Amino acid sequence: MHGYKVVVVDTDIGLRNLDVVMGLENRIVYDIVDVVEGNCRLKQGLIRDKRFDGLYLLPAAQTKDKTAINPEQMMELISKLKEEFDYIIVDSPAGIEQGFKNSIAGADEAYIVTTPEISAVRDADRVIGLLEAHGINNPKLIINRIRYDMVKRGDMMNVEDIVDILAIDLLGIIPDDEAIVISTNKGEPVIAEEKPLSAKAYRNICNRILGKEVELLDLETNEGKLSRILKVLFNK
Amino acid sequence: MREGLVSFKGINGGIYINVKNGEFNTILKELEEKLTKSIDFFREAKIIGIKGESISKEEKKELLNVIKYKYELNIIEDLEPSLKESVFDGIEEGMTKFISTTIRSGQVVEYDGNIVIIGDVNPGALIKARGNIVILGSLKGVAHAGVGGNTEAYIAAYDLRPTQIRIGSIISRKPDGNMDFIGIPEVARVCNKEIVIEPYLPRK
Repeated sequence: MHGYKVVVVDTDIGLRNLDVVMGLENRIVYDIVDVVEGNCRLKQGLIRDKRFDGLYLLPAAQTKDKTAINPEQMMELISKLKEEFDYIIVDSPAGIEQGFKNSIAGADEAYIVTTPEISAVRDADRVIGLLEAHGINNPKLIINRIRYDMVKRGDMMNVEDIVDILAIDLLGIIPDDEAIVISTNKGEPVIAEEKPLSAKAYRNICNRILGKEVELLDLETNEGKLSRILKVLFNK
Repeated sequence: MREGLVSFKGINGGIYINVKNGEFNTILKELEEKLTKSIDFFREAKIIGIKGESISKEEKKELLNVIKYKYELNIIEDLEPSLKESVFDGIEEGMTKFISTTIRSGQVVEYDGNIVIIGDVNPGALIKARGNIVILGSLKGVAHAGVGGNTEAYIAAYDLRPTQIRIGSIISRKPDGNMDFIGIPEVARVCNKEIVIEPYLPRK
């Protein structure tokens, strides 16, 4: 979108999904394990996105598991990718086992994505600790699926609470949005759409990664206001 | 139902030994057991070579040496290279594997012959056959027929909506977007170096 060359690496071997939500599943011939094991060239493993020029995906293997690659191989892979791409985004699997270790092996920076729930924030805290132990300092925080109405009622942790606990810089907040469910089911990234608030949130995060100053989103949407007016009107 | 690591297969003019993924010592033990069991049979036969994806050259040599010197069997190694190249020619009539269960994401079914599946093949599953693939359910995963280069092979399914189909070395993917079940079985085969899908019509 900004003219950079970007590759997304899915390291969730055995439970791959990134290709599905990007709508590229039917293009997979080779995967990350094939590339690492030398069954194909790196170029053959990369899948060009159907919408954005300069965006590529290196899919995970589905028939293997996390032990199919090790951190050393991952580091080698990332350094090869660095020669060609401006940004390499490594999607880490859940958990703190081998898959996580693989994904952080070649990383220079880390972005922690968490939801506003106690358990998720605890896990995020643990992950930040592990990242620091691995020499990746100052990870940035992205809070996902926040629901403004629940925060307002005091039923959900708010952004300040989470930032307070984790004590790292906030990169962005993404509202819980139906548009995301719709777009991932269709295999089209929500960011490509103009309207949804979540798309705006993602664009803001991109801009901040590129070093621009962007204000945090005001989550009080028009729809939110409207529904509240309705609620007042109908006394409910 | 567990199959052993070592199996013997007859092919034009001899027998070759098929070795699956496994620890070398276990393979060696199993091979010796099987050879001793029916040594008289093997004395008459010509052993062409050893085939296996995970086995290294040194290991292969060691196994061959055991066969050659310990059991004093005939080995014709010259034929070995042709083994890999050979295209499965049993699509009219040949070895077939029947499976009556759903194949799920991440599962791989591989066979040196035809495959018939009485069940569904879910997205993320992979079916690889050197011959034809016939599915009496829906095919939504990846199916590769004619592995080894047989472009005469075909893929037939009651509900054919695969993520990808490959026949021989030709690859075709499903169009982007959702597809609905058309209600009749379809057959995919190679026509002019392209995979074409045609509806199965009775009495054709």
